[in-house]
Amino acid sequence: MRPIDLWRYEVRRAGWAALLTPPVATAALVLISLFDSSPTADRNLVAALEMALPLATGIGAASLVGRDPAAELQLTMPTAYRSTLLRRLVVTLGWAALLAVLVVGILVATDSWPQSRGIASGQLVWLAPTLCLGGLGFLAGAAFRSPAAAGGLISTVWIVQQVFSGLVQDNYWTRLLYLFATTRGAVPDDWTANRLTLMATALAFGAVGWLVLGRAERLLRGEAE
Amino acid sequence: MTAAFRYEFLMQVRKRSMWIANGVVVLLLGLLSARGREVGDLLHDPDAKATVTSVAVAINLILPVVYGCFLADRLVRDDKLGVAAILDVTPSSGAGRLAGKYLGACAAAAVPLAIVYFGFVALYAATSGRPVAFAWAAAVFAVVIAPAVLFVGAFALVVPLLIPAPLFRVLFVGYWFWGNAITPDAMPTLASSLVTPVGSYPLQELFGYRGPAGDTELAGPAPGAVFNFLRPEATPATAWLSVGVLLALAILVLSAAPALRARTTR
Repeated sequence: MRPIDLWRYEVRRAGWAALLTPPVATAALVLISLFDSSPTADRNLVAALEMALPLATGIGAASLVGRDPAAELQLTMPTAYRSTLLRRLVVTLGWAALLAVLVVGILVATDSWPQSRGIASGQLVWLAPTLCLGGLGFLAGAAFRSPAAAGGLISTVWIVQQVFSGLVQDNYWTRLLYLFATTRGAVPDDWTANRLTLMATALAFGAVGWLVLGRAERLLRGEAE
Repeated sequence: MTAAFRYEFLMQVRKRSMWIANGVVVLLLGLLSARGREVGDLLHDPDAKATVTSVAVAINLILPVVYGCFLADRLVRDDKLGVAAILDVTPSSGAGRLAGKYLGACAAAAVPLAIVYFGFVALYAATSGRPVAFAWAAAVFAVVIAPAVLFVGAFALVVPLLIPAPLFRVLFVGYWFWGNAITPDAMPTLASSLVTPVGSYPLQELFGYRGPAGDTELAGPAPGAVFNFLRPEATPATAWLSVGVLLALAILVLSAAPALRARTTR
């Protein structure tokens, strides 16, 4: 099987549900901004990039492990199962990236892109939190082997950072891990450091997730329902 | 119904991942509160009612996100495992099994909540010497937390019959923040209304809670806000109305489950 066939298969296998989640989450915020007549309505679209898209990607990544009806078969293939799962993670992230670039294009074309961000470096608005929650979702999925538990953890990290925004940002180190530094950031000067830290953390999450998935026997032990 | 309740409760409550996920959340909340020095202050607050209510608000804002995600696969799971058709031919009634499954799953979801909440209340009562905190906590649990569990539980069981569970989880978390924590003057939201599951009306009118600083209008009409038709004047009567509306919505959503299941299992 050619590599391109494998990728095409993974995109098809993800199904409409996985492909629909990021655009629906983004559209929900766009819908609210249509209701919103306040001058800050444009902010909702940037919020869609920084808040909705990473959440959708994180939960998508958290749902990768534990859905194969016959993981035993996957484990007998010449391709390691964790390589297959990593390919699925790339498909999840790639789809989110495609959508994000589209939304950024709309914002730039309608002159709604925040003036303080360049177009190239401004891509970190969505890239950093999306990678971070995507990596955490991958790790949580590998550790829990249950989409419900892993999705619950991603959701909690997201909502704790939303509800306790002030508490998370009152310390330099936790501020560097704050997901919404563009739309709700308390210290604008820390923005670049925050974005780079989030991406480094994403790499660390992904690497640990990869190591955890290396223990194949854990994948065979079913989750107690 | 009793058997369905018992098995659903036991299945959910024995799920190790549920305890780990709740444990991680409580640890995260504990670390944040400790950094903000809130726990120490709260334990020595002389006002038992205000203390147990403010802790209930924090718990009720965060933990529903966890149990909402966990309950999202409870109904679709029977179809996925191929046991729905077998259960359908048993003498038990479909409505009874649905009610048992719903109440069992909700009761199991409420167990970690109750342990965290009453654990804190016990600590507070022992530290401050105010056992009356237990009475206030029981009232808050019954009037604010339990309706939220039943409301979230109904949607988490039924909506994944229409849309896939991961999509439901994303939309639910977004909704939970938007519909509970955002003030109506910031953007159009269902927060501060009769259908706010975190319980704005009962918190304000029955327990006197007005935000962390004590000066926020949690419920009632907001000048110029969208959806003000869902925000009547806040009174004890509208507080009870809000609880009733949340429970009625839960029953309404749950009553759609048999029709939706028939559609998906055909």
